Amino acid sequence: MSKDRKKMGMKAKQNLYQFILGFFLLLLAGTMVLPFVYVLMVSFTDGSVYESGKFILWPEKWSTEAYELILSGKGFLNSLKSTLLITGIGTPMNVVFNAGLGYMLSKPIPGRKFFNKMVMFTMLFGAGLIPNFINIRNLGLMDSIFASILPGVCGAWTVMVMRSFFEGIPSELEEAAKIDGCGQLRIFATIVLPLSKAMLATFTLFAAVSYWNTYFSAIMYMTTTEKMPLQVYVQKIVLSTNISDVVDLTTELANTVPQEVMRMAAVIVVTLPIIIVYPFLQKHFATGMMVGAVKG
Amino acid sequence: MTKKKAAPVVVHKKGYLRKKIWQYRWIYLLGLPGLTILVLFNYIPMSGLLMAFQDYNPYKGLLGSEWVGLKHFDKLFNDAKFYRMLKNTIIINLLEMLTFPAPIILALLLNELRSTKLKKVIQTSVYLPHFLSWAIVVSLTFFLLSSEQGIVNKIAVSMGGTPTKYLQSKDWIYPIITIQSLWKGVGWSSIVYLAAIAGVDQELYEAAKIDGANKLQQMLKITIPSIMPTVVVMLIMKMGSIISVGFEQIFLMTNANVKSMLEVFEVYIYQNGVASGFPNYSYTTAIGMFKSVVSTGLVLLTNWLTTRKGYSGVM
Repeated sequence: MSKDRKKMGMKAKQNLYQFILGFFLLLLAGTMVLPFVYVLMVSFTDGSVYESGKFILWPEKWSTEAYELILSGKGFLNSLKSTLLITGIGTPMNVVFNAGLGYMLSKPIPGRKFFNKMVMFTMLFGAGLIPNFINIRNLGLMDSIFASILPGVCGAWTVMVMRSFFEGIPSELEEAAKIDGCGQLRIFATIVLPLSKAMLATFTLFAAVSYWNTYFSAIMYMTTTEKMPLQVYVQKIVLSTNISDVVDLTTELANTVPQEVMRMAAVIVVTLPIIIVYPFLQKHFATGMMVGAVKG
Repeated sequence: MTKKKAAPVVVHKKGYLRKKIWQYRWIYLLGLPGLTILVLFNYIPMSGLLMAFQDYNPYKGLLGSEWVGLKHFDKLFNDAKFYRMLKNTIIINLLEMLTFPAPIILALLLNELRSTKLKKVIQTSVYLPHFLSWAIVVSLTFFLLSSEQGIVNKIAVSMGGTPTKYLQSKDWIYPIITIQSLWKGVGWSSIVYLAAIAGVDQELYEAAKIDGANKLQQMLKITIPSIMPTVVVMLIMKMGSIISVGFEQIFLMTNANVKSMLEVFEVYIYQNGVASGFPNYSYTTAIGMFKSVVSTGLVLLTNWLTTRKGYSGVM
């Protein structure tokens, strides 16, 4: 009997431990999510309510005016166009180039060691900001969206992860196809790629997110203000004291919406696509894929 | 005689290699686009490092510009501003170093959690900030902390306090950027450790349980030693960036009041080499080169030290 009681005591202790642990971790998770919820709520709040100075957790009076203003402004549409082009062109290029190189390095080709070192070295040493800047200028890419696309199209880390993934595909499958008379390109397209769907999907989304978040390369290489991507646009809205210039409205009806509400609406608009694709992305994280990369 | 003997071998080898390369021609073709990008955007710019030893003039180009030896490095090491930037960078990084155990602790705690549903909810939330741009993270910071509109100050005022200018305060700026980095990165960094924990041999725990080891002992004696190799690799990678800061974060957080504390190499190079009307390419290249060489050196050094201690390192 005393043994049973001891067991029950243990169990209660365990449950308490789990409860405290879960509570603490949920609190932590809350700090990651709550800022968004707050911004989302304020962005839908009517101007008069916001101006009254209460802090908002649930809008007393809803309004989509801020969104209507942001979405109809020329500033947003111009930036959206740039960001869509950068993401739309960059993402498929990124996946194809990285997968191709990763696959090449997974095969016992002559010079494999050299090419491996060549890829790894770019992780270890970089030329720096100014040589890259001069290089982009020499290549005639200034003020082009390709200056934001091309340098990010092939990255050592992605290549290495893909390489170790391809190495894990059993060679018998490819051998069998070879005997059937399949060429190397066909083997890659019809056997290797379909087997790598989940991995490719993950990297597609990684690439898309990083192109969507283009900021630095744009302020480095883009000179036309209208072609600046969304991240630059949102940052300008948040920092500017007179945001109607940045929003660039075609019709004049501003000033009814507080600037801060406009800013929050802009942040939500620019972040929304990431929040939408994120659940699809999240599925693949916890796999051992990442560790393989770190161990090189 | 020896000549005759050697010759066929060489010919055979040459032909063999050529045949082998030909056999893999399509594989090479698959890798070619990626390699081209690396050459164009990673290797060719390295020739631009020569600018650091010249008075580079864009109209004369790399070949026509005047060579000045180590002039720019001389100037650099005698520049008070250089030491200020170095100091700021190191302080920022040391503060970030303090948060290095945070993702490890998070991974250990997540691993302890039994409810898979709860675990998933928490993981989904903590990974999210990694995917936001710095422009967004800085915007959120402004919404929370700005002196008039920020919610923190609004709450303070409503409770009878006075608003604090956090973003303009020299006391607050370092804690703020450290917390920003932690907030953005802690979840994502924990993935690597979670995966490492998942890879620990389960039999070790069984054996420990039979020996009567409790949860804490299991964590200290099994889990932590088992994930040490991963910790070491992450530490080596961290060492490589100890004299770098994230340009976007620092650039966007800078304002007139805290400028002196956020003067770092990256922003200086951008302002004097790219955004300036009279860009000083050579001097800014020299700064960049100093940074690259020190980072690479630190990675190699840490790697060497840890391999000597018996860890596998990164290379």
